Amino acid sequence: MNRSLVILLGSLALGAAIFAVAYFASQHTCMMCQTITTDNLEWLQTEFHLSDAEMSRVRKLHADYEPQCLEMCAQIAAKKNELAAALANATNVTVEAENKLSELHALRARCQTQMLHHFFEVSHLMPPEQGRRYLTEMEKLTLGVTEPIEKTMSMPAANEHGTN
Amino acid sequence: MNPNDAKLGELLNSVRVSPALPPRFHENVWRRIENAESSKKSGTWLDALAALILRPRLAFATAAMLLLAGGFLGAHEGSQAARQDAQTRYITSVAPNSLR
Repeated sequence: MNRSLVILLGSLALGAAIFAVAYFASQHTCMMCQTITTDNLEWLQTEFHLSDAEMSRVRKLHADYEPQCLEMCAQIAAKKNELAAALANATNVTVEAENKLSELHALRARCQTQMLHHFFEVSHLMPPEQGRRYLTEMEKLTLGVTEPIEKTMSMPAANEHGTN
Repeated sequence: MNPNDAKLGELLNSVRVSPALPPRFHENVWRRIENAESSKKSGTWLDALAALILRPRLAFATAAMLLLAGGFLGAHEGSQAARQDAQTRYITSVAPNSLR
Protein backbone atom coordinates (compact mmCIF):
# COMPACT_ATOMS: atom_id res chain seq x y z
CA MET A 1 0.00 0.00 0.00
CA ASN A 2 1.07 3.58 -0.62
CA ARG A 3 3.09 4.98 2.30
CA SER A 4 1.20 8.29 2.31
CA LEU A 5 -2.14 6.48 2.43
CA VAL A 6 -0.95 4.42 5.40
CA ILE A 7 0.08 7.61 7.21
CA LEU A 8 -3.30 9.22 6.47
CA LEU A 9 -5.36 6.23 7.65
CA GLY A 10 -3.14 5.72 10.70
CA SER A 11 -3.55 9.38 11.68
CA LEU A 12 -7.34 9.16 11.35
CA ALA A 13 -7.43 6.02 13.52
CA LEU A 14 -5.18 7.62 16.13
CA GLY A 15 -7.32 10.78 16.19
CA ALA A 16 -10.49 8.73 16.65
CA ALA A 17 -8.85 6.75 19.45
CA ILE A 18 -7.71 9.92 21.25
CA PHE A 19 -11.22 11.40 21.03
CA ALA A 20 -12.90 8.18 22.20
CA VAL A 21 -10.58 7.73 25.19
CA ALA A 22 -11.06 11.35 26.29
CA TYR A 23 -14.84 11.12 25.80
CA PHE A 24 -15.41 7.89 27.74
CA ALA A 25 -12.92 8.73 30.50
CA SER A 26 -14.48 12.12 31.22
CA GLN A 27 -18.03 10.76 30.92
CA HIS A 28 -17.29 7.98 33.39
CA THR A 29 -15.49 10.32 35.81
CA CYS A 30 -18.29 12.86 35.66
CA MET A 31 -20.96 10.25 36.32
CA MET A 32 -19.00 8.73 39.20
CA CYS A 33 -18.46 12.14 40.82
CA GLN A 34 -22.09 13.20 40.57
CA THR A 35 -23.75 9.92 41.57
CA ILE A 36 -21.52 9.28 44.56
CA THR A 37 -24.41 10.11 46.91
CA THR A 38 -27.47 7.91 47.42
CA ASP A 39 -29.61 10.81 48.61
CA ASN A 40 -32.94 10.65 46.75
CA LEU A 41 -33.66 14.35 47.34
CA GLU A 42 -30.36 15.67 46.05
CA TRP A 43 -31.86 16.28 42.62
CA LEU A 44 -34.42 18.70 44.11
CA GLN A 45 -31.73 20.89 45.65
CA THR A 46 -29.59 21.10 42.51
CA GLU A 47 -32.43 21.33 39.98
CA PHE A 48 -34.53 23.92 41.85
CA HIS A 49 -31.64 25.79 43.53
CA LEU A 50 -32.93 25.28 47.07
CA SER A 51 -31.13 26.66 50.11
CA ASP A 52 -30.17 24.39 53.00
CA ALA A 53 -33.06 25.77 55.11
CA GLU A 54 -35.60 25.13 52.33
CA MET A 55 -34.10 21.71 51.80
CA SER A 56 -34.40 20.71 55.46
CA ARG A 57 -38.13 21.63 55.39
CA VAL A 58 -38.56 19.58 52.19
CA ARG A 59 -36.76 16.66 53.86
CA LYS A 60 -39.15 16.75 56.82
CA LEU A 61 -42.16 16.82 54.49
CA HIS A 62 -40.71 13.94 52.48
CA ALA A 63 -40.09 11.91 55.65
CA ASP A 64 -43.75 12.41 56.67
CA TYR A 65 -45.01 11.48 53.21
CA GLU A 66 -42.88 8.35 52.67
CA PRO A 67 -44.76 6.01 55.12
CA GLN A 68 -48.13 7.09 53.64
CA CYS A 69 -46.80 6.37 50.14
CA LEU A 70 -45.51 2.94 51.20
CA GLU A 71 -48.85 2.14 52.82
CA MET A 72 -50.72 3.04 49.61
CA CYS A 73 -48.25 0.99 47.55
CA ALA A 74 -48.88 -2.04 49.75
CA GLN A 75 -52.64 -1.60 49.39
CA ILE A 76 -52.38 -1.30 45.59
CA ALA A 77 -50.14 -4.40 45.41
CA ALA A 78 -52.62 -6.38 47.54
CA LYS A 79 -55.54 -5.25 45.37
CA LYS A 80 -53.65 -6.22 42.21
CA ASN A 81 -53.15 -9.71 43.65
CA GLU A 82 -56.89 -9.93 44.43
CA LEU A 83 -57.69 -8.89 40.85
CA ALA A 84 -55.26 -11.48 39.49
CA ALA A 85 -56.91 -14.14 41.68
CA ALA A 86 -60.37 -13.08 40.47
CA LEU A 87 -59.21 -13.29 36.83
CA ALA A 88 -57.47 -16.65 37.25
CA ASN A 89 -59.24 -19.35 35.21
CA ALA A 90 -61.97 -16.85 34.28
CA THR A 91 -63.35 -17.03 30.75
CA ASN A 92 -65.29 -13.80 31.07
CA VAL A 93 -65.26 -10.60 33.13
CA THR A 94 -66.92 -11.62 36.37
CA VAL A 95 -68.70 -9.28 38.76
CA GLU A 96 -65.98 -9.92 41.31
CA ALA A 97 -63.23 -8.99 38.84
CA GLU A 98 -65.13 -5.86 37.86
CA ASN A 99 -65.43 -4.86 41.52
CA LYS A 100 -61.72 -5.52 42.16
CA LEU A 101 -60.85 -3.42 39.10
CA SER A 102 -63.00 -0.53 40.37
CA GLU A 103 -61.43 -0.80 43.82
CA LEU A 104 -57.95 -0.79 42.24
CA HIS A 105 -58.79 2.35 40.25
CA ALA A 106 -60.17 4.00 43.37
CA LEU A 107 -56.99 3.14 45.30
CA ARG A 108 -54.82 4.51 42.51
CA ALA A 109 -56.86 7.69 42.42
CA ARG A 110 -56.47 8.11 46.20
CA CYS A 111 -52.74 7.49 45.91
CA GLN A 112 -52.41 10.03 43.09
CA THR A 113 -54.41 12.60 45.06
CA GLN A 114 -52.16 12.07 48.08
CA MET A 115 -49.10 12.39 45.83
CA LEU A 116 -50.44 15.62 44.33
CA HIS A 117 -51.03 17.01 47.83
CA HIS A 118 -47.39 16.26 48.60
CA PHE A 119 -46.20 17.95 45.40
CA PHE A 120 -48.22 21.08 46.21
CA GLU A 121 -46.85 21.16 49.75
CA VAL A 122 -43.28 20.81 48.48
CA SER A 123 -43.83 23.50 45.87
CA HIS A 124 -45.06 25.90 48.60
CA LEU A 125 -41.70 25.54 50.32
CA MET A 126 -39.86 26.69 47.20
CA PRO A 127 -39.48 30.17 45.72
CA PRO A 128 -42.65 30.83 43.60
CA GLU A 129 -41.00 30.48 40.21
CA GLN A 130 -39.19 27.27 41.16
CA GLY A 131 -42.35 25.93 42.79
CA ARG A 132 -44.31 26.37 39.57
CA ARG A 133 -41.53 24.68 37.59
CA TYR A 134 -41.43 21.81 40.12
CA LEU A 135 -45.19 21.25 39.86
CA THR A 136 -45.13 21.24 36.06
CA GLU A 137 -42.22 18.81 36.03
CA MET A 138 -43.82 16.48 38.58
CA GLU A 139 -47.18 16.45 36.80
CA LYS A 140 -45.43 15.64 33.55
CA LEU A 141 -43.24 12.89 35.05
CA THR A 142 -45.73 11.18 37.36
CA LEU A 143 -49.18 11.76 35.87
CA GLY A 144 -48.17 12.26 32.25
CA VAL A 145 -50.60 15.18 31.96
CA THR A 146 -48.64 16.69 29.12
CA GLU A 147 -47.95 13.42 27.34
CA PRO A 148 -49.18 13.32 23.77
CA ILE A 149 -50.67 9.80 24.12
CA GLU A 150 -54.25 10.99 24.58
CA LYS A 151 -53.85 13.45 21.74
CA THR A 152 -52.52 10.77 19.40
CA MET A 153 -55.28 8.40 20.48
CA SER A 154 -57.98 10.95 19.84
CA MET A 155 -56.72 11.86 16.35
CA PRO A 156 -57.35 8.54 14.55
CA ALA A 157 -60.85 8.46 16.07
CA ALA A 158 -61.71 11.56 14.06
CA ASN A 159 -60.49 9.85 10.90
CA GLU A 160 -62.25 6.57 11.60
CA HIS A 161 -65.61 8.19 12.30
CA GLY A 162 -65.22 10.94 9.76
CA THR A 163 -67.02 11.24 6.47
CA ASN A 164 -64.03 10.45 4.22
CA MET B 1 41.21 5.92 -42.27
CA ASN B 2 41.53 9.69 -42.34
CA PRO B 3 38.91 11.50 -40.23
CA ASN B 4 39.46 14.71 -42.18
CA ASP B 5 38.54 13.10 -45.44
CA ALA B 6 35.66 15.33 -46.67
CA LYS B 7 34.59 13.02 -49.42
CA LEU B 8 34.23 10.09 -47.06
CA GLY B 9 32.20 12.25 -44.67
CA GLU B 10 29.76 13.28 -47.39
CA LEU B 11 29.39 9.71 -48.49
CA LEU B 12 28.62 8.49 -44.99
CA ASN B 13 26.01 11.25 -44.47
CA SER B 14 24.25 10.35 -47.66
CA VAL B 15 23.81 6.67 -46.69
CA ARG B 16 22.20 7.37 -43.20
CA VAL B 17 18.76 5.76 -43.22
CA SER B 18 15.76 6.93 -41.14
CA PRO B 19 13.41 3.98 -40.36
CA ALA B 20 9.65 4.38 -40.78
CA LEU B 21 7.73 5.16 -37.55
CA PRO B 22 5.30 2.53 -36.27
CA PRO B 23 1.58 3.25 -36.76
CA ARG B 24 -0.03 5.80 -34.29
CA PHE B 25 3.41 6.56 -32.91
CA HIS B 26 2.72 10.21 -32.02
CA GLU B 27 -0.62 9.41 -30.40
CA ASN B 28 0.95 6.72 -28.26
CA VAL B 29 3.76 9.03 -27.16
CA TRP B 30 1.31 11.71 -26.03
CA ARG B 31 -0.84 9.16 -24.22
CA ARG B 32 2.17 7.91 -22.30
CA ILE B 33 3.14 11.46 -21.37
CA GLU B 34 -0.39 12.21 -20.15
CA ASN B 35 -0.58 9.00 -18.09
CA ALA B 36 2.76 9.70 -16.48
CA GLU B 37 1.71 13.24 -15.55
CA SER B 38 -1.66 12.22 -14.10
CA SER B 39 -0.15 9.51 -11.85
CA LYS B 40 2.51 11.97 -10.75
CA LYS B 41 -0.19 14.54 -9.81
CA SER B 42 -2.34 12.11 -7.69
CA GLY B 43 0.72 10.97 -5.80
CA THR B 44 1.64 14.55 -5.12
CA TRP B 45 -1.48 15.65 -3.17
CA LEU B 46 -1.49 12.49 -1.01
CA ASP B 47 2.19 12.92 -0.27
CA ALA B 48 1.65 16.58 0.54
CA LEU B 49 -1.18 15.73 2.93
CA ALA B 50 0.90 13.03 4.62
CA ALA B 51 3.77 15.47 4.98
CA LEU B 52 1.39 18.04 6.50
CA ILE B 53 0.04 15.48 8.98
CA LEU B 54 3.53 14.51 10.04
CA ARG B 55 4.43 18.07 11.03
CA PRO B 56 4.94 17.84 14.83
CA ARG B 57 3.31 21.17 15.65
CA LEU B 58 0.16 20.44 13.70
CA ALA B 59 0.01 16.85 14.95
CA PHE B 60 0.23 17.93 18.62
CA ALA B 61 -2.31 20.73 18.11
CA THR B 62 -4.80 18.33 16.50
CA ALA B 63 -4.30 15.72 19.24
CA ALA B 64 -4.80 18.36 21.95
CA MET B 65 -7.93 19.66 20.24
CA LEU B 66 -9.41 16.15 19.96
CA LEU B 67 -8.54 15.46 23.60
CA LEU B 68 -10.26 18.65 24.75
CA ALA B 69 -13.32 18.16 22.53
CA GLY B 70 -13.74 14.55 23.69
CA GLY B 71 -13.27 15.57 27.31
CA PHE B 72 -15.83 18.38 27.19
CA LEU B 73 -18.39 16.33 25.30
CA GLY B 74 -17.93 13.35 27.62
CA ALA B 75 -18.25 15.54 30.70
CA HIS B 76 -21.44 17.09 29.32
CA GLU B 77 -22.96 13.70 28.54
CA GLY B 78 -21.88 12.30 31.91
CA SER B 79 -23.41 15.25 33.72
CA GLN B 80 -26.69 14.82 31.83
CA ALA B 81 -26.77 11.09 32.62
CA ALA B 82 -26.07 11.72 36.31
CA ARG B 83 -28.82 14.35 36.43
CA GLN B 84 -31.25 11.93 34.80
CA ASP B 85 -30.28 9.25 37.31
CA ALA B 86 -30.82 11.59 40.27
CA GLN B 87 -34.20 12.66 38.87
CA THR B 88 -35.27 9.02 38.47
CA ARG B 89 -34.27 8.28 42.07
CA TYR B 90 -36.40 11.17 43.35
CA ILE B 91 -39.40 10.22 41.22
CA THR B 92 -39.16 6.61 42.39
CA SER B 93 -39.15 7.77 46.00
CA VAL B 94 -42.34 9.88 45.65
CA ALA B 95 -44.35 8.12 42.95
CA PRO B 96 -44.74 4.34 42.97
CA ASN B 97 -44.21 2.58 39.64
CA SER B 98 -47.81 1.35 39.66
CA LEU B 99 -49.00 4.94 39.22
CA ARG B 100 -46.76 5.85 36.34
